[in-house]
Amino acid sequence: MERSLAHIALFAALISVLGFLPRIDMVAGVPITFQSFGVMLAGAVLGARKGALAVLVFIGLLALGLPLLSGGANLWSVLYTPRIGYVLGFPVAAYVTGWLTQRLTALPLTFAAGVAAVGGGMIVLYTIGIPVAAYMNDLTLAETAAGAVAFLPGDMIKAIATGLVTGQLARMRPGVVQSRA
Amino acid sequence: MADPSSGIEIAAASVVLGDRPVLTGLSLRLTERRIGILGRNGSGKTTLLRLIAGLIAPQTGTVRVDGFDPFADRRAALAGIGILFQNPDHQILFPTVEEELAFGLAQQGLSQSEALARANAALASEARAHWAKAPVTSLSQGQRHYLCLMAVLLMAPRTILLDEPLAGLDLPTQARLARRFAALPQRLVTITHDPASVGDCDRVIWLDAGRIAADGPPSRVIPLYTAEMARIGATDADADLAG
Amino acid sequence: MLTLTLPVETALHRVSAAAKLAGIAGLGVILGLTADPVLLAAVFAGLWLAYLPLGPVEAARLPRRLWLLWPFVLVIGGWHLVRGTPEAGLVVILRMLTMFGAATLMLLTTRFDALLAAFSSLLRPLERLGLPVNRIALALAMAVRFIPVLTQRASDLAEAWRARSARKARHRLLVPLAIAALDEADHAAEALRARSALV
Ligand SMILES: Nc1ncnc2c1ncn2[C@@H]1O[C@H](COP(=O)(O)OP(=O)(O)OP(=O)(O)O)[C@@H](O)[C@H]1O
Ligand SMILES: [Mg+2]
Repeated sequence: MERSLAHIALFAALISVLGFLPRIDMVAGVPITFQSFGVMLAGAVLGARKGALAVLVFIGLLALGLPLLSGGANLWSVLYTPRIGYVLGFPVAAYVTGWLTQRLTALPLTFAAGVAAVGGGMIVLYTIGIPVAAYMNDLTLAETAAGAVAFLPGDMIKAIATGLVTGQLARMRPGVVQSRA
Repeated sequence: MADPSSGIEIAAASVVLGDRPVLTGLSLRLTERRIGILGRNGSGKTTLLRLIAGLIAPQTGTVRVDGFDPFADRRAALAGIGILFQNPDHQILFPTVEEELAFGLAQQGLSQSEALARANAALASEARAHWAKAPVTSLSQGQRHYLCLMAVLLMAPRTILLDEPLAGLDLPTQARLARRFAALPQRLVTITHDPASVGDCDRVIWLDAGRIAADGPPSRVIPLYTAEMARIGATDADADLAG
Repeated sequence: MLTLTLPVETALHRVSAAAKLAGIAGLGVILGLTADPVLLAAVFAGLWLAYLPLGPVEAARLPRRLWLLWPFVLVIGGWHLVRGTPEAGLVVILRMLTMFGAATLMLLTTRFDALLAAFSSLLRPLERLGLPVNRIALALAMAVRFIPVLTQRASDLAEAWRARSARKARHRLLVPLAIAALDEADHAAEALRARSALV
């Protein structure tokens, strides 16, 4: 119990801190931060339930006004922006990433976590984020999806990083990757 | 039921951490009021304290504190045992001083507002009322150590376990704390590297590689310990530090 | 960064944290009800007035705080200009800036522990439905405690890296930072166990 609570709190803190890390500027000029990587990692490492709870704690902090979203935003300031769908989709993304990591047991952990991150952190997140962004921008789904292509390379890198980091954590701290415990 | 007179009873307890045996077949019955634990780095002192505090369970053997099992019976442990961690940063759970102090009291059954009031009163009586709202990150290492100690004392447990309580504190603070410890009515189990600081104990236990190397009054254990430490210190190679 | 709370006491400090949280949520709803840029601009101006009791320095600092959001303003504004819908863009930007300014005002005049206590009391009715409100509050407080710890850890790691390498650390920090989070969690779990009886 204490351990679960501590993991949830610490991953909420980790997701917050990853939002402050220096951005990496991508080829297309789209800046990416590691925040959504933190969301994928929470799912891949803590598993579906605890991963989603960690993200919900993070969102709770945003709701209390803390400027922890990458770029210094809080929950209220993104409320009516196209970004809100992605932020509210984060817990679902973490849940699905964890759920998939727990089920893809036939694959080696690194690979399973990477695939799960694509599933949860990209496919599911886009499925929630794109329609909301389309509504907010008053655009069609197709137009919005075309715009979201700019995020594909960055998110792909984060999904791969999720796989690699999860694999390394499992090696360095055996037993810690609870999605496979 | 809790029986304060029965003290700490450890029977044939072994602890394995990872795949490393850290404590091996340890048996101890501690009923004295002041107990000192000496030993080199990695000898298992902290592990012994965690075992007594019920933070870990022995792989084999049993542990009883005042008659209860500190690992299984956490409610009893809250009133029965307090532990000061070696590293204050591993102990602090809250962003501000008063929240940190109030937490244990609230866990003992006080309402949050009562707990906060008691925490503030305790700070005031230590002339540190201005700490209440301060973020814990604004305190120095020694101040954080002090905060952790206050958090433990505030819960008034019958047995207090102290893991190197004076390490990293300046000399006046050390002297003040030592006096404070001496005045406490509770049973104290104190870990240290420094043989001089256990001179006033009723009993001193020297732990070496997870076993008891010597156990008895300070007048007997301390000379043995100092002689052995001097002997090891004189040699260059140190096989014992191998992790 | 997490402790914005101003040391000086103003009238706004004395408004209860629960009222402020409810106010923010209410403002969020109200801003969604109108898409009239003039009305939204008026609300934004009103927010600025609310900063005045904090003193001229803080009121003058608001634009600087809002300036943080320039990339979003640029993207949203640019996008709507290109599409020929500047008014819609203005609406999004005004809502964003107003909500950001309001949340910042709340942080400036309310201690975080008070906000957290208010948040818990707002959730309290849901306890009957099985929501573990105390644990949620504990997790939020612990997250806030460990954000500066992990931030410090990240900068220590970057420093240790710079001391021994000419290249930038960047993604090489990810594994050690995640390890740090896991290890801190182990210590925190033990500290929690030492002073609580969670079951
Ligand atoms: N979680 C762990 N996993 C594996 N081994 C551990 C773990 N914790 C401690 N050990 C090992 O157990 C041994 C005893 O550790 P312990 O912390 O009890 O020593 P100590 O006597 O308190 O030392 P010090 O004086 O340095 O604080 C050490 O060799 C240490 O490497
Ligand atoms: Mg130790």
